Amino acid sequence: MLATEGVRIIRAAFGRWQKAGVAICLVLTWLSLGQVAQAADDQQAREIVDRVARLFVSQSCVATMEMQITKADWQRTISMQLWSLGESNILVRIRQPQEDAGTAILKVDNKTWIYLPKANRTVEMPTSMMMTPWMGSHFTLNDLVNQRRLTDDYVIATTFEGQRDGVAVSEYTLTPKPAAAVVWGKITLEVRQADLMPVWQRYYDEDGKPVRELDFSDYKTVSTSSRFGRLVPTRLVMRPLGQTVEQTTITYENIAFDALISEETFSPRNLKQ
Amino acid sequence: MIGWLPRLAWRNLWYNPGRTLIAMAAIGLGYAMLLFVACLMAGLRQQMIESGTDLVLSDIQVHAPDYYPDRPIHQTLGGRNGTDVGALVAAITADPRVQAASPRVYATGLISATHQSAGVQLLGVVPDLEQRLTVLQTRMVKGNYLTGRMPKGVVMGDELASTIGAAVGSEIVLLTPAADGSTGNDLYTVAGLFHTGLDAMDRGLVLMPLASLQELLRLPPGRIHEVGIKLHDITTATTAATALEVQLSKTFPVRVMPWQELVPELADYVQFNHRVTIILSFIFFLMAAMGIVNTMLMAIIERTRELGMLMAVGMRPVQVVGLIVAEAASLAGASLVLGGVLGFPLLWYLQVHGLNLGGDRGAVSLAGIVVGPLWYGRQDFTAYTQAALGLAVTALAAALYPALRAARFRPAEALRKV
Amino acid sequence: MGVLLLVKIGWRNLWRNSRGTLLTALALGLGLALLLISLGLLDGSHEQMIANAVRFGTGHVVIQAQGYQDTGSQALLLPTRVVSATEAFLHTEAMQQGLRGVSPRLLASGLLSSAANADGVRIMGVIAKEERTVSLIPQRIVEGTYLKDDQQSGVVIGTDLARKLAVKIGARVVLMTQAMQPPDAAATDAGGGEMQSALLRVSGIFRTGVEAVDAHVIQMPLPEAQALLGVPDRVTQIAVLLEREGDSLMVAQGLRKQLTGVPAEILPWRQAMPSLAQVFLLDDAFNYVMNGVVLAVVGLGILNTILMRVLERRYEFGLCSALGLRPVQLAIMVIGESLALTAISLALGLVLGLGIQHYFATSGLDLRWFFKSSLPAVLVFDPIIYARLSLTRIASSVGIVFLMATVISFYPAFKAARTELPGALKVF
Repeated sequence: MLATEGVRIIRAAFGRWQKAGVAICLVLTWLSLGQVAQAADDQQAREIVDRVARLFVSQSCVATMEMQITKADWQRTISMQLWSLGESNILVRIRQPQEDAGTAILKVDNKTWIYLPKANRTVEMPTSMMMTPWMGSHFTLNDLVNQRRLTDDYVIATTFEGQRDGVAVSEYTLTPKPAAAVVWGKITLEVRQADLMPVWQRYYDEDGKPVRELDFSDYKTVSTSSRFGRLVPTRLVMRPLGQTVEQTTITYENIAFDALISEETFSPRNLKQ
Repeated sequence: MIGWLPRLAWRNLWYNPGRTLIAMAAIGLGYAMLLFVACLMAGLRQQMIESGTDLVLSDIQVHAPDYYPDRPIHQTLGGRNGTDVGALVAAITADPRVQAASPRVYATGLISATHQSAGVQLLGVVPDLEQRLTVLQTRMVKGNYLTGRMPKGVVMGDELASTIGAAVGSEIVLLTPAADGSTGNDLYTVAGLFHTGLDAMDRGLVLMPLASLQELLRLPPGRIHEVGIKLHDITTATTAATALEVQLSKTFPVRVMPWQELVPELADYVQFNHRVTIILSFIFFLMAAMGIVNTMLMAIIERTRELGMLMAVGMRPVQVVGLIVAEAASLAGASLVLGGVLGFPLLWYLQVHGLNLGGDRGAVSLAGIVVGPLWYGRQDFTAYTQAALGLAVTALAAALYPALRAARFRPAEALRKV
Repeated sequence: MGVLLLVKIGWRNLWRNSRGTLLTALALGLGLALLLISLGLLDGSHEQMIANAVRFGTGHVVIQAQGYQDTGSQALLLPTRVVSATEAFLHTEAMQQGLRGVSPRLLASGLLSSAANADGVRIMGVIAKEERTVSLIPQRIVEGTYLKDDQQSGVVIGTDLARKLAVKIGARVVLMTQAMQPPDAAATDAGGGEMQSALLRVSGIFRTGVEAVDAHVIQMPLPEAQALLGVPDRVTQIAVLLEREGDSLMVAQGLRKQLTGVPAEILPWRQAMPSLAQVFLLDDAFNYVMNGVVLAVVGLGILNTILMRVLERRYEFGLCSALGLRPVQLAIMVIGESLALTAISLALGLVLGLGIQHYFATSGLDLRWFFKSSLPAVLVFDPIIYARLSLTRIASSVGIVFLMATVISFYPAFKAARTELPGALKVF
């Protein structure tokens, strides 16, 4: 029964995506960049990877999350709230820590603003600034930029199916298509066979060297407009490989899809609060 | 032989004072001109270098080893714990070659006023110390330079101000990633605007008090990125840099870079210029050589009888050669002295008063900067000595041909010449 | 005695002491030769320094959209018709002579990412073949190769950028930039168009020695840059490199006339790069002074040579005078000699001078050969000077030397005319 429900969810998500715009939640859109493939081979693999890519995709999204960043020179934990609507509206408000509390970042279409509580000013950011690592973490704001139709950037193949650590998983290898505008040589993704939840994702450069890894855990069902909810990993850890210390962990405390959000939320005037 | 040869040579020169004086005048004036050019060129090089370094760069910069050129804000002098800035500056200033030293902090950030935001480089300085180092304060077009009394005052280029819609007295926001990962941001007031004519500075540089930038970056007072150094004599830059690196490395690892490493394109210009001057000096030597050959040849042709007679009464060919060469040497020597005497007052004048470029070259306003009409010379004793030596060598070489010819006179024939 | 006869006697006087005459002619000729060589080197080095500098920037003359110089806004582009009109004008017969290269470029900012890192870059969309003739970057490739016009998706980056992004030749990099607003949209809309990405492969790494360039400038094929930025057939600027720096103003004016009524600014390099112009003001002054000094030194040499030669002949003049030659005739004879001598010298000098100058003009004078460099190994500028001598220069040099020689010879002619008889005939 879970399987049929799963298929219905996939079909529903697909349909919705094909119709109108798609709301993209902050973090995983970066992941979902170019993940969707319409490769010739391995149709089922493609569907599964596609599904993983769309885990955080919806008409709208409201989330509360915590981001813990560990770097060579410093460590921080940031607590924030996120709203997104349609393809091009995103609002993030920082709640913790104290010195950054009240900071808000708003993106509407191709403009980005940041509200700074200490200076009590709203500053427009040039696009170039948006592409620096988000708040110093290991995630970039690429996703906020690349949010049109997901491009078919990779060819997907199934490279493993079986048991690992007592769990039945499948591993997929994604190889970029020749003209795809991605920097990775390949990406490998491990997905649980039972509930199609991603376990980890590794990014390799063109020489085959693993550069970073994204680990998923804490799977929970969150609310959507349908009564079934959606199963998503609520904890994501991004680690540059080769670095022993640095990493960024994002933990979703709350996440809800398809809730009603008014467009007013995304107005620069309302940034100050 | 040594004793009487020079005296004889000298006297021989003056048997025909007209010719000797003409030759001396030609060579002497030529030497004076070489001195003139060397002095002006040294001054030109100095001016070129200074104009490239005295605005913001300074003569030498001291950094932590991996700091330059990426400028990551955590690579502070003395490592993560920083250092006693005062002691560091004092240690540097203790070197007799150093005229002034000033600590600096850098960051890249965003500035915003009423219109737009712009990406800028932030430079935190200690106003009193910095003004001993660089001359940006002379380029203010509106408002004032930084002072200790206005900790939240910043100065920026006029082009930047107009882009973002700010003026003197405006409030602006600075935004930059802080050292602890937070987003450093604060309000500041525009204290003044400068105009350098250099795009990179007028559009992209914001100067502020060091302590304020450290606060914005959440850096403790002991952490700075750079110490800028001004030397008494910029030509000592490379040696001073090496010496300082050795000395300072005893406390913690540093990299000391002279301006030649910071702006190699400028160093290239200067070298290019220098070399062209030297090549032209060679040409002068050739002219001088011709002059000397000519003079000596004329002389011996005239003195065929005299030389023949000398050889007849026992002077050996070697001594004849020696005599001619000595005459040439004396000629050269006297010319050098004459040239020096004529030249040195001019050199002094150039150094103190400069050469007035005048006319349409002087007081030209280019991009708002008034280009000084005065071109100052600078003494370059190395060049002067080299020129003198070059001339002496040339003279001796030039004299060889006539000397060897004279040595081959046959006394009997020579005596018969009219 | 007729003037002609006097001159003939003068001519034969020269050859009585052929060795002396030849030597003097050689000395004078050498003076001219050295003058030509010096001027050639001075002019060449001056031209070279300027060319080197402007090749890092916008060339001798740049054509760009009105207002670009002040704002640097990447939305300001040249309309297509301006590009074609400019190219047409520059490729006419008349202009072709003094032209070294014309390079249209599209400039924008973007982000270049690799698997390891990302950094802000200054994008230059160029046509490889044209850019080679104008910029120095194509000549500073240290790894890989420069862009090829038929090659797709290549990009050349600087050594500092390559290090930061940890990429080697052939590596994948993604360029992200904001497309321009369509031309008819409000130019003041700062938001711009959508973000675009393109895959590029590093085809070459260059090193100029200038940190700002090596860390931030990338060059890619123009058509791809245009496609990425959504501005087909538009460029930001056209950089023009000339043979002679001195033509800059003239070419700029010519272009302005050609493009009247078009919202474009045509700037000679002194206006486009005022900070550079400032540096070269000093260099101009240097050239001026050096020219004067070289002339003076050569003049002194000539003075020396001629006076030397002519003042020695008191006996001879005394004899002539005793034989009946009147003072005026004596003077004419001397002047005739001098003119003849000068003519021979000039001929010798021209041959020698132009010969050597030609060598320097084609093979150049490599400064490195002369001197050991005490600086770091990277040389930013081309260390080879190519001598340059314009016909005007040659003509004026010959003219000046001739004039100097002639004027100087008036003095001994004058003295010859005033030879006092009994005294002059004293032999010893």
